[in-house]
Amino acid sequence: MTEYLIRRVLQSVLVIFLITILTFLLIHAAPGGPTQVMLAPGLTPEIFEQQAKNLGLDQPIHIQYFHWIGDLLQGDLGYTFKNHIAISDLLWPRIGNTIILMGAAWLVSLLIAIPWGIYNSTKVYGLSDQTASFISYLGFAMPTFWFGILLQQWLSLKLDWFPLSDMHTRGKEDSIADLFMHLVLPVTVLALGFLASYMKYARASMLEVLDQDYIRTARAKGVKERKVVFRHALRNALIPIITILGLDLPILVGGAALTENVFNWPGMGRWFVEMATAREYSALMAVTIVTAVMVVIGNLLADILYVVVDPRVKLGKQGGKAA
Amino acid sequence: MSTDNTELIKGKVSKPLGTPDMSPMPGGTDPEIPVVELDRPPGPWRVLWKKFSRNPFAMGGLAVLLIFVLLAIFAPFLTSYGPEKIDLMFANLKPGAEGHPLGTDELGRDILSRLLYSARISLLIGFSVAFVSVLVGSVVGAISGYFGGFVDTVFMRIVDVMNSVPSLFLNILVMALFGTQIKFMILILAFTSWMSIARLVRGTFLQLREMQYVEAARAIGVSSWGIIFRHLLRNASFPIIVNATLMVGGAILSESALSYLGLGIQAPATSWGLMLSNAQEFMLIDPMQAVYPGFCILMVVLAVNFIGDGIRDALDPRQQVTKSRRRLEQWRKNYSKSGN
Repeated sequence: MTEYLIRRVLQSVLVIFLITILTFLLIHAAPGGPTQVMLAPGLTPEIFEQQAKNLGLDQPIHIQYFHWIGDLLQGDLGYTFKNHIAISDLLWPRIGNTIILMGAAWLVSLLIAIPWGIYNSTKVYGLSDQTASFISYLGFAMPTFWFGILLQQWLSLKLDWFPLSDMHTRGKEDSIADLFMHLVLPVTVLALGFLASYMKYARASMLEVLDQDYIRTARAKGVKERKVVFRHALRNALIPIITILGLDLPILVGGAALTENVFNWPGMGRWFVEMATAREYSALMAVTIVTAVMVVIGNLLADILYVVVDPRVKLGKQGGKAA
Repeated sequence: MSTDNTELIKGKVSKPLGTPDMSPMPGGTDPEIPVVELDRPPGPWRVLWKKFSRNPFAMGGLAVLLIFVLLAIFAPFLTSYGPEKIDLMFANLKPGAEGHPLGTDELGRDILSRLLYSARISLLIGFSVAFVSVLVGSVVGAISGYFGGFVDTVFMRIVDVMNSVPSLFLNILVMALFGTQIKFMILILAFTSWMSIARLVRGTFLQLREMQYVEAARAIGVSSWGIIFRHLLRNASFPIIVNATLMVGGAILSESALSYLGLGIQAPATSWGLMLSNAQEFMLIDPMQAVYPGFCILMVVLAVNFIGDGIRDALDPRQQVTKSRRRLEQWRKNYSKSGN
């Protein structure tokens, strides 16, 4: 187990390291590159060079990379070019906002998807199963932002049940109730997307387990169907779902960008789009790295949890392959 | 002898006409039987189509996709307005206005015409992205799975890296940095979606490369690339097709998302995503404007997904499993004393 842990952690560190290189190269391969953007137009060549020197942009690319990664390791994400604000001051509150939104959506979808998926696995091709599969298809094929816009038109503009956008009502004191009302629409939009996949996984995973011999044995010896489902099957069926949850983290983080834009939610995704349009290179690199780190940690946790939960996973000679 | 038997023999002996070893067939084949003219046993494509065409959802998807393709191709004949033509005199016309069946937007552009021309962009991007992804993914997966070892490790770490950055973020990043041209968009969307194909091809190759026919091919001196392209890739082609079909839908969604965010297709060109971002601004004036483009995206992606699922189901040799499970359930209901 320890060996597996160490190997897995080292692997994650390597992946993060490669991501920093990828991001850095992407940014510096862009036409114009940082130099063009950081410096105001219309400078004389002398001042231009002087400024580039001050910012360390005249140095070879690998030196620049080491500077950047050195700062990164110390928790320094750099500054925006425009107003010279520390990126960490801007980024962390926004990550918090994104986590509120995504966490709520995730929880809602899990609470609906897993029981429903399990129920459907016991009544394959029943009405409930067909409905669920219809919803899944919609969830996969519908552009989330379109769904968001439709909800805004219908529930907000027409019926005025929920606020149109933002996180808090402007000019009002922040309250939990107010936040909740603002959460309803974006959470609905996001939850539909998650619901579609989790329901499918829960059902498929249950069906696979229900087909196995020990379930047949349990039934054969007269165990009640309900007990078979909940006691014997469910425990093993939940294991692959844990992995899926870990692997879904990129979608969880990335998927918010669109919904945040539709509902003007002050989260990381919307900020990223803003920064991308303004070509704020340091901010873009910071967000990419921070998200990647979160994703890698998520995957790592999922893998470890998988081993902890499932005693059948033997870590020995094949430990590396299991990863 | 029974007819069944002759059928069997006829099916087995397909092409080689008049080969001498016809006569000593077990059971004494009647030499009068015309063995030659029979069809060959149905090939995999034929079987695939047969199963596929029995699936109403898949066929519906195919029909819808075909309709959209035709609409996109014949867009200039179906509408007399260009999608970019601005006419402020006729701005914000309601649906059903004369000459504009779906009305006009805030700049007086004909909405129907914009929808039709957007279909071109979406389909072009969807299929190109799938094509490029399959190309890249197959090559990477093939090399990785066939040669293994160090190359495999390197490629799989690259796949890990690509999977660790949310693809939407990467798309946004690259589109913002490199400019919003359509060819960039296709390359970038492919760049962020080839990984699943690579994994799939690698997995298949790992299984297949130990097969005896591969060993035989190697023994008679077929080169590595010969084995990869002629023997292995062909066997991996069906799962690749399924994956690529589903990828078309994903690419269309990504394109609309990027265009919606202002980082994709730029005016005066038009795309469903771009139309949606316009529509959101003018939601109060004309709510229907937001409905059409999203509905088009939904229909196309749904159609493509149905087709992909249809192919996958048609390929599944265990297609009978669902039936037997249902029967199992009936048995359980009728004969089991414990369950409900």
